[in-house]
Amino acid sequence: MDFYLGLAQVIGIHTLLGLSAWCVLHTGQVSLAQGGFFAIGAYVAGMLTSMWQWPLALALVTGAGIACVVAIAVGFPAMRVKGLMLVVATTAFAEIVRLVFFNLEWRIETSEGVVGPNGSLGFGGIRYFPSNGWSAFEVNALIWSLVGGVLLLLWWFDRSRVGTLWRAVGEDEIAAQSAGINLTATKVSAFGIGGAIAGLAGGVFAHYTTHVEHSNFGILLATFAIAYPILGGLASLAGTLFAVIFIQGFLLEGLRFLGEWRSLLFGALIVLVMLVRPDGFLSRALWPGRVGPRRQQTASPSVDDSDTARQEGSRHA
Amino acid sequence: MDLLDLIDLTQSVLDGVLFGATYSLIGIGFTLIFGVMHKINLAYAAASVGAAYLSLIVVSHVPVPVVYLVAALMGGVLGWLVYLICFRFLPLSNPLATLMSTVGMLLAIEELISHLTQGMPMNYPAMFQSANIEIGSFFIRGDLLFVFLIGCVAMVGLTQLLKRTRLGLATRAVAQQPVAAQLCGMGINSTNASTFVIAGLLGGTAGAMAGAAIGVLSPLLALPLTVKGLVVTVIGGLGSIPGAIVAGLIVGGAENLFQFIRGVSERDIYVMLLLFVFLVFRPGGLFSPPGGRD
Repeated sequence: MDFYLGLAQVIGIHTLLGLSAWCVLHTGQVSLAQGGFFAIGAYVAGMLTSMWQWPLALALVTGAGIACVVAIAVGFPAMRVKGLMLVVATTAFAEIVRLVFFNLEWRIETSEGVVGPNGSLGFGGIRYFPSNGWSAFEVNALIWSLVGGVLLLLWWFDRSRVGTLWRAVGEDEIAAQSAGINLTATKVSAFGIGGAIAGLAGGVFAHYTTHVEHSNFGILLATFAIAYPILGGLASLAGTLFAVIFIQGFLLEGLRFLGEWRSLLFGALIVLVMLVRPDGFLSRALWPGRVGPRRQQTASPSVDDSDTARQEGSRHA
Repeated sequence: MDLLDLIDLTQSVLDGVLFGATYSLIGIGFTLIFGVMHKINLAYAAASVGAAYLSLIVVSHVPVPVVYLVAALMGGVLGWLVYLICFRFLPLSNPLATLMSTVGMLLAIEELISHLTQGMPMNYPAMFQSANIEIGSFFIRGDLLFVFLIGCVAMVGLTQLLKRTRLGLATRAVAQQPVAAQLCGMGINSTNASTFVIAGLLGGTAGAMAGAAIGVLSPLLALPLTVKGLVVTVIGGLGSIPGAIVAGLIVGGAENLFQFIRGVSERDIYVMLLLFVFLVFRPGGLFSPPGGRD
């Protein structure tokens, strides 16, 4: 039972991470910075509860808030570029964050001994859950109520004006701009909200593992973050949840009998899904009754003018 | 800072610039594929390291230069395989699809290498290790100079290929305007595939040179080489081969400069900040008109 409770916690945290990438992907941008915001949230929230004995809720909100502010600050220069340039810029940002925490040493004396980030050795002793007597079930309840809250919030966003703006920019920037949409504001808002969600996920993660270190937040984590929404399909929020359960639950835990070889499967599976369903598992065409205009499935080079223009427009990543 | 420090600093930057030739080669590979297909092949650096690993199979049977040649050829083969698996049958109009498929390929290659070698670093042969050239108070490591020269030869070869041959003409035509190129009778798919093979040949060379300069190969090499290669591509300007060459040498030199000033653990922070400076002030890269974005 404990095993399944632990697995549910991991799935919850990764769902939050995937949802943070979903926001940014919805505006058509590929960001590998989510791991960086996750790290900021983890370190800030962990330091607040372990070093200064803040209450958990306040620490989580502060962690998410700081991640959000950093995301907006980075968003303005980063969102000037797009496509490959943005992938590289966000990768560079995530690496900077990771290396800053790799070099951060700030240890203070508290009632539970010396705690704080200790450079390359990582940051241990984030013992809020054990020292306040939280059971695994209660931790799960916290994580999944956060997931539920974020899902509801994003669902509401998606139906409101904000979602319309995000999707408009994601589908076609030039058309959106000529309709009077402020591209920078739209993209930075998605980046900021995504950053806040990733920071929240990081804060929960730090308290769940009690020990975080720089290697937790490498490019691999950012890759996972964007892999969930893309594999699940950007058309729905359920796709992200489905992909997290599939990858974390089935691929990494269910196939444990394959030993170390299953991480090889992860890469192969991504390639396979992209070959079979390039728009994700739960892309629109799967829903009965809601079949929208299917995207062009094969890239047959066409001499038709409008088609070529569209291909040219989307050939930027 | 006294004179001795200055000499150490210059020496260190010099070594970095020589090693930067491998970054240039990786950067050229990214930029070549981007120029032709407008796609990133994130699996490129991993495939390059993989090619260097494959060349280790023959290492005990043949002399060292042949090992490098085998690495380059294997790079070409892997490049073609990556094209076939990650690009050929995917809808090119969806930018996320090929991005994710190459990420998957990157992870798969990395995992495959670490499983087949049990995660142990493997020794890679170098040449001219003892042939150090002394110039005044500086000396140039023979093996690094060799790496640098091989890098230059590969770059010159590539430029000649692109400028002088019919294959190069087709590659440049498809890069400029795929539809018009196809109307003139050039096969888009075959040109794309041959671009991947050419980039793969360079990548295999880069993998072998990185192995030779460091002395060991490790699966941990794949991700840093990917990141550095992408940084080089962006600083040099997307699609610009001379830009990638110069940027590779700059990044190599800057890396050692920051390592000398701030130590190895903080080095990459400043290299990444350098990238941000370029993104803010010159987003089009070194060799493109200012203001060009993506």
